[in-house]
Amino acid sequence: MTATPPFAFDGVVRLTKVGTSYVLFTVVIGFAALNTGNNALYIGFTFLLGCLLLSGIASKGGLKHLRVEFAAIGQPWVGRPAHGTLRLRNDSRIWNVRDVVISGGELEPVLVPMVMRRSTMEVPVALHFERRGIVTVKRLDFYTRYPFGFFLKKRRIAINGEVIVFPRLLDNERERRRMEATDDGEVATNRLGPGGEVHSFREYVRGDSLRHVAWKKSASLGRWIIKQTEAEAAKSVHVVLDPFKPRGVSDEAFEEMISAAATYIYVSIGQGMEVVLSLPRVTLHSKLDDATPLMRALALIEPAHEPFAIPHERHAVVFSVGRHDDARTA
Amino acid sequence: MTPARREIETLLLTSFAAVPLYATQAVGPLPLVMFHAVMAGIIIRVAMGKSPELIPAPVMRTIAVLYIGFYIIDAAFISRNAIAASTHLVLFIATYQPIESARTRNYSQRLLTTALIFVASIATSTHITILLFVIAFGFLMFRQLMYVSHIETVAALGHEYVEPPSSRAAMFYLAGTACVAALLFPVVPRVRNPMMQGLAGSLTNASTGLSDTIDFNRERSSTPDPTIVARIWITPDAIPFFTPIRLRGAIYDRFSRNQWLQSAKGFRELRSRDGVYRIARPVGLKRAVTVQQHLMSNTRLYLPSGAYALSGVPVLFEGPQNEALTTMPLRRSTDMVTLDVSVARETEPLVATEPRVVNYPVTKEVAALARQITGGSGEPLAQAAKIEQYLSTKFRYVSDPATIGHTMTVDHFLLRERRGHCEYFAAGMVALLTSLDVPARIAGGFYGGRYNPLTGYFVIRREDAHAWVEVWNGTRWTTFDPTPATLRPGVSQSGFLRAYATAIGDSVTYYWDRYVLTYGLGDQVTIAANAITAARDAVQGAKARLSEQLARLRTPQTAAFIVLVLAAGALAISLAGRRRPVFDLLASHLRGFGIVVGPAMTMEEALAELRAKHPDAARELEPLVALYDEERFSSHADPRRRKAIRRRLAELRT
Repeated sequence: MTATPPFAFDGVVRLTKVGTSYVLFTVVIGFAALNTGNNALYIGFTFLLGCLLLSGIASKGGLKHLRVEFAAIGQPWVGRPAHGTLRLRNDSRIWNVRDVVISGGELEPVLVPMVMRRSTMEVPVALHFERRGIVTVKRLDFYTRYPFGFFLKKRRIAINGEVIVFPRLLDNERERRRMEATDDGEVATNRLGPGGEVHSFREYVRGDSLRHVAWKKSASLGRWIIKQTEAEAAKSVHVVLDPFKPRGVSDEAFEEMISAAATYIYVSIGQGMEVVLSLPRVTLHSKLDDATPLMRALALIEPAHEPFAIPHERHAVVFSVGRHDDARTA
Repeated sequence: MTPARREIETLLLTSFAAVPLYATQAVGPLPLVMFHAVMAGIIIRVAMGKSPELIPAPVMRTIAVLYIGFYIIDAAFISRNAIAASTHLVLFIATYQPIESARTRNYSQRLLTTALIFVASIATSTHITILLFVIAFGFLMFRQLMYVSHIETVAALGHEYVEPPSSRAAMFYLAGTACVAALLFPVVPRVRNPMMQGLAGSLTNASTGLSDTIDFNRERSSTPDPTIVARIWITPDAIPFFTPIRLRGAIYDRFSRNQWLQSAKGFRELRSRDGVYRIARPVGLKRAVTVQQHLMSNTRLYLPSGAYALSGVPVLFEGPQNEALTTMPLRRSTDMVTLDVSVARETEPLVATEPRVVNYPVTKEVAALARQITGGSGEPLAQAAKIEQYLSTKFRYVSDPATIGHTMTVDHFLLRERRGHCEYFAAGMVALLTSLDVPARIAGGFYGGRYNPLTGYFVIRREDAHAWVEVWNGTRWTTFDPTPATLRPGVSQSGFLRAYATAIGDSVTYYWDRYVLTYGLGDQVTIAANAITAARDAVQGAKARLSEQLARLRTPQTAAFIVLVLAAGALAISLAGRRRPVFDLLASHLRGFGIVVGPAMTMEEALAELRAKHPDAARELEPLVALYDEERFSSHADPRRRKAIRRRLAELRT
């Protein structure tokens, strides 16, 4: 989705159709006044000129004193509008600013009917992101025709808005069913149910209790390993994402794999399961229905051109492109 | 505000734009009435929630096509004026566009058409009330423009109507625009192109002072007219001697068939000397007055009684009637001519003349009345004075001649009616003097005027038109006025508030006439020249003051003082330069003991060296070095410490 209004243009000011007509009209009246020496026409002519001049000064003066910053941005996902808030401040002592259209980058054009002089207001906005990862909103364009619509004035304001955009969630119903089927089917049958017995082992994740550390296994492997009891295993799923992107695999396929993993995690957490996400050199653990750390990791992961060895348990769900091993893939 | 209400506002604005055209008569009333009738019909339809299509659009389009041909016919045969025909066309377009707006979005074009009507209205207006119209129109137009701007912005984003700017915003921008326009108006260049002359109205009303004849065969009425005829500036010291003012423009010295006529006289161009035209010989007190007046009755000048010289006109003619003075017509009838007039208490003709008695057919009754009034007096001025007193006390003044209800002869006025307006009084007195063989004549013009304390001038209006009598005393004409003094025009009293309100109105009109309507290239050149002169004077004044100040300083005492100050300054600088730092003084002292303080050596090291060689001298110097260190590394300088070190070192040296 494009985020530019239909009247976007390069430059600072543009004469509108109404403005062009007005200027021509002023020229005609000016000529008539000069030709006739009729001071009544001169009154009209100077009035027209004054109006034109004031229009330019007002639109420029109004935009000149606008300050803007992001007050808040909601959770941003690729392909979904992220709702946020822009804080606008009009420092001008004279000019109220009206009918301002703000656009630029990922921002959906938004109309601000009025910002009173020497006041601050918050404007709800929607942002549309096309790719995951860190996205920086560097500038916003402010347009106005106010007051009389003779000129379309533009001011570009630098802004520092940096957000981490989460991967696209697959909206396709088929994809979702696939995720749910996997969850309800094979994984469930391998769970032994509640009990004190050790069901499996997994990597240590920050926040895990030291009481669950498998000391012998940790000592033999040289890293922290956690024991999972049957009860814990029953409500958790281990997702492994392999970022290796062999030659010949398109970026689109890689992004599709990331989106599939994100959707799987999102659906799993939505069903009340805990999700452990293993990535090269890092393992993350979802908490209390909060997928944010995992999604942030998925947002930031880059394709690797060398294969990694990611330790994972037997029933882990592995997401990868162009590599098939004995691990079960979603 | 709903779109329907906004549409009504637009239609009202278009209708309003054409209202001044009724007053300016730039176009006939019929097209205007038709225009407003159609607009009213459209407004009613919109107010009822219907489409503005008062006339079916296809019919309107057909009429529009036909109008192209009609425009040529209108310009050539009906209006016989391209501007009037074009105004008709614009009015037609203004009615066509709302009907068409149901199908096409022509909001901007409609505003443009409205603006064209507005221009036609103001271009043909000269009255100050047009300013109120401009302000009202500007306010409504700004609202509409803001609305268009708002609609186009929200439409570009695919939104609905949100919240257009308010009336307050329109007022704000109107005030700003008016301020900018007021600043621009005087500086926009006035360079006239002769291709198309401007439109201007003319002063068409007639009254006594503007008439070529005094015709007693028809009923006359002299209705008050607020139009200003002249403004007269008289210096305060001259006011008691030259008021009430009489602006004289016509001399009625012939009688024929109950009509008083002016004697014909051919045109004769008067010669000027340095731009000053001499028209009579002054007698008595003399003063200068300034007269600003509209030219009326074939560019005739109305000059104050006692005028003997004038300047301010490029050419001056005597004629076409006796003692009438005329000049070249002005570019526009609304323009005023400004004359510098020299006046005296009385004047004598430049060339000696022997006036004859008017050819008034004196009847026995009138002659008897004259003898009865004058008694045995034989001196013309005494006879005139008695007649003047008689008429002004025994006869009744009627301000509105129409109230008498019939025409009458002068004899009828003198012998039976004994009431009338100023022309009857003047004519009656001339008739009576004629019966006594005294040369007399009726003078027509304006009398009195009202003093404006705000601007310091007298205002003469049409309603001040008056007739009085001039009597020949053997050497010159002397003024007599048989009309009762308190009932003459221009002397009516009004309350304080009313007088001031009138004065304010006069002042506004004067400034409007002088600085708006008649403002031109000459004024711009004058302003520029004045500004340059003022700047030059300021610079020269500053130079002169500077030179004066310098001249005052060119005295031996000042020179000695300056030399003294300079010498003291030089000495102080020299001493400061010679004043060696404390470190150098200490080093110099140590050098006396054979210790050279190098650049990388501290005073403590030098003291240690001295202590090794001359322990006694070192003991003496130790407090000084400590003091020096304290001074050197202190956070703030202490002159007393430095002085103490210097003093102690000086003591050690001695």
